[in-house]
Amino acid sequence: MIKLLLAGVPRTGLLMLAILLALFVALPFFVSDYLVTVLFLILYFAFVGQAWNIMMGFAGQLSLGHALYVGLGAYAAAALYVHFGISPWIGLWASMGISAVAGAIIGFLAFRFGVGGVYFAILTIAFAEFARIGFDHFTWVDGSSGFFLPVANYTENDLWNLRGSTRMFYYLMLGMTVAALLACHALLRSRAGYYWLAIRESPEAAQALGINIFKYKMYAVVLSAAMTSLAGVIFAFFYNNLFPEQIFHISRSIELILAPIIGGVGTLAGPLVGAFLLTALAEGLREVMLQLGVDVPGVKQVFYGICLLLVVMFLPDGVWPPLSKLLGLDRKTPDREG
Amino acid sequence: MSKTTDTHASRRGISRRTFAGGVAAAGILAGTAPFSIGRAQGAPLKVGVLLPRSGAQAGIGQDCHRGVEVTAGILKELGLPGLEIMNGDTETNVDVARARAERLISEGAQLLVGAFDSGQSTAIAQVAEQRGIPYVINIAAAPPITEQGYKFVFRNFHTAPMILGGAFATQKEIFAATGNAPKSVVFMHVNDTFGVSMQKGISAVMPKFEMPYKIADTIAYDPTARDLSVEVAKAKATGAEALLVVSRLNDAILLTRELVKQRWSPMAIMSMGPGWYEDQYLKALGKLADGPITSVPWYDPTKKVSKMLEAAIAKAYPDINTNTNHVYTFEALMIAADAYKRAGTAEPKALADAIRATNIKDNVSTGPGIQFDAKGQNDKLEITAIQNRGGKLVAVAPASASNAKPELPMKPYDKR
Repeated sequence: MIKLLLAGVPRTGLLMLAILLALFVALPFFVSDYLVTVLFLILYFAFVGQAWNIMMGFAGQLSLGHALYVGLGAYAAAALYVHFGISPWIGLWASMGISAVAGAIIGFLAFRFGVGGVYFAILTIAFAEFARIGFDHFTWVDGSSGFFLPVANYTENDLWNLRGSTRMFYYLMLGMTVAALLACHALLRSRAGYYWLAIRESPEAAQALGINIFKYKMYAVVLSAAMTSLAGVIFAFFYNNLFPEQIFHISRSIELILAPIIGGVGTLAGPLVGAFLLTALAEGLREVMLQLGVDVPGVKQVFYGICLLLVVMFLPDGVWPPLSKLLGLDRKTPDREG
Repeated sequence: MSKTTDTHASRRGISRRTFAGGVAAAGILAGTAPFSIGRAQGAPLKVGVLLPRSGAQAGIGQDCHRGVEVTAGILKELGLPGLEIMNGDTETNVDVARARAERLISEGAQLLVGAFDSGQSTAIAQVAEQRGIPYVINIAAAPPITEQGYKFVFRNFHTAPMILGGAFATQKEIFAATGNAPKSVVFMHVNDTFGVSMQKGISAVMPKFEMPYKIADTIAYDPTARDLSVEVAKAKATGAEALLVVSRLNDAILLTRELVKQRWSPMAIMSMGPGWYEDQYLKALGKLADGPITSVPWYDPTKKVSKMLEAAIAKAYPDINTNTNHVYTFEALMIAADAYKRAGTAEPKALADAIRATNIKDNVSTGPGIQFDAKGQNDKLEITAIQNRGGKLVAVAPASASNAKPELPMKPYDKR
C-alpha cells in the first residue's frame, strides 16, 4: 500500500513533502488563532480543489456547480446532528451518499445524453441553483432563515461531535488534505486514473481503445462529489450556520475552483499551491497595505483577478508545472507534473 | 487601522526601514496581543468593526461605514470616551468574516462590532464567544443568534418576528390616525430569499393583528425583472385599494413607473422592506417618489442624539439621508463607548458585564432606549413607519416617535 502511495514520487519531492507536512503540523504552536484560521482556509480550499481536480483535472469534465456538493454535505450532516443528535462522523456517510447520488444523477443525465463541455458546466450550475432555491423552501432545515447548529463556549475539544477550537478543525483539515493528496496520487496510478487521463485527452480515442467512458466519467463525478461533501461537513461544523443563498451560490463554486486553476489543473500539488498563493498572498497583501495606511475594501478580489489574468497570460498550465521544473521535481508521472 | 480622531496621519514619508520596522512591530503586537487586552482607562477602546465593504453587500457595508465615520464627533459631544476603530472587511463571506474577527482580536481589538448579515454575524459571534471578547451586533435579524446562550454577544437590532409584528402595528396606528384604511390589498413581493421569507412570515403573523384589509392576491416576481407591466396589470385588475410590497430598489422604481403608466394610484403603498425609501429611489422618481409608507427599523427623529446624528450625516454626506445602516452602526459604537466609560476598563469580562447593564435613554433608534435582556437582545426596539415627502423621509408612526402626520390616501400620481 505504502509502495503504491509513494510510487513515482522523486526523493527530493518526498523530502519536501515531509518538510512541508512537519511545518504544517508545527505552525499552530507558534502562530496566532488568526493565522491558524488562514491556514485552515488554505487547507480547506486545497482539499476542495483536489476533489474538483478529479473531475476536471483527471477526467476532463468541467463542473461550475461544486458548491452543490459542499451544501448537500453540510446540510445532511448538520441536520442529522441537530435533529437526531447523530455524530458528524456517522453523518458524513449520509453526506457522501447524498452527494454521490446527486453527482450520479447529473453525470447520468449528461453522459447518457451526450451533454459535454460548456453544456455540462451549465448543467452543474443549474443543479446547484435548483438546490439553492429548493433549500430556501426546505423548512426541515429552516429554509431561507438559515440553519443554525447549537454552539457553546467549549473548554475542551469534542472530536466525536466536532465541537471545539479552530486548532482542532485545522488538524482535521490537515489530515483530510494529506489523505486526499495520497488518495489522488494512488488513483492516478490506478487503472481508473490512466483511463481518466485517456478520456481527458481524447474521449473518442479512449472509446476506440475499449474504455467504457460512460462508466469512468461516472466514477469521476461520483467520487468528486462524495469527496467534496466531506468539506461541506467540516464547513457546517466550523461555521455553525448554513444559508442556502450563501452555500449553494455560484460565487462559492467559482471560489472553490480558483485554487486548482491557479495552481495547475490536473496536477496533484496544484490545488495546494493555488490555495496557498491565493489565500496567503491575498492576506499578506492586505496586511502590507494596512501597514502602509491604505484600507481599501475589495483589494483581495482585485488581487484574485490579477492572479488569474497573469496565470492565463503567462502560465496557462498553472503555477505548479514551471515551479516543479524549477525545483527539479518534473519527473514523468501519470499526471501533468512531469 | 485608524483612530477616529486622526485617520490619515500616518500616510506620508514611509521609508523601507520604517516599513520593515512597522511589519516587525505588527508581528510582535500580534504575538503579544493576549497580554495587552486589559488596558487602563484613558487609552481609547480598540473596537474592531467588521462590515461587508466588498462583495455582494458592498453598498450596504459602505453605507454602514458612514455611520462609523461620523461617530467620533458625536461621542465627544456626549462626553463618552473615544474609540480606536480597526476596520475589517468581511467581503460578504462567512469564511472571511470569521478570519477577520480572529485577526482583529489578534491585533488587540477589545470589542467587536458588525456585521450587517446574519450568517457573517453568527461566524463572528462564535469567535467572540470562544475568545471572550464582547461583540455588539449592529444589524442582523436571524433570531437564533441570541438564542445560543452566549455571554459575550449582544444585539441592538430587531429580530425578524419583531420587524413583522412592528410593521403591522404601525400600519394599524396610521389607519386609526387618518381614519382611512384599505379593505383589500395586493401583496407584491420579490421571489428571492428575503422576499419569500417575508411572504411566509407575513402569512404567519398577519392573522394575529386582525388587519382591516384582506389580501386579494399575492404576486411574486423576479427582482432582476426589466419589465413589470404584466404584474402591475394583474394587480390593478384585482380591484384592490392598496399595495403591500416587499421589494428591492430597482423593482420598486420599475413598479412605480408602471403604476404611473397604467394610471393606477392606489390609496396606499405599504412597504416592509428596502427600495421605496432609499436615496436612489427618491432621486430617480422625483415627485413620483412621494407617498409610499415603509415600516422599517429606523430612528426617532425627536430624540436629541438623532438630531446630532442627522446633522453629522448631512454635513459629511450632503446627498444622503440618515438611514437604518447609519443608525444601528452608530448605536453599536455608542454602546461600546458607554460600556467602556462605566466599566472603567477594557477587561473583556467587565466590559461584557457593563454592556449587559446598559441603560441608554438618550439614543437614536425608536423605542424607550437601549437595554439588553438575559440573552443579550434589545427587545425594546420599535418599528417606525416612514413616508416619502418632497425627496425627504418623515416618521409618521408611532406617534411618540414621529415628526409628521401620515398622509393617507396618498396623492394620486396625475395630481402631482
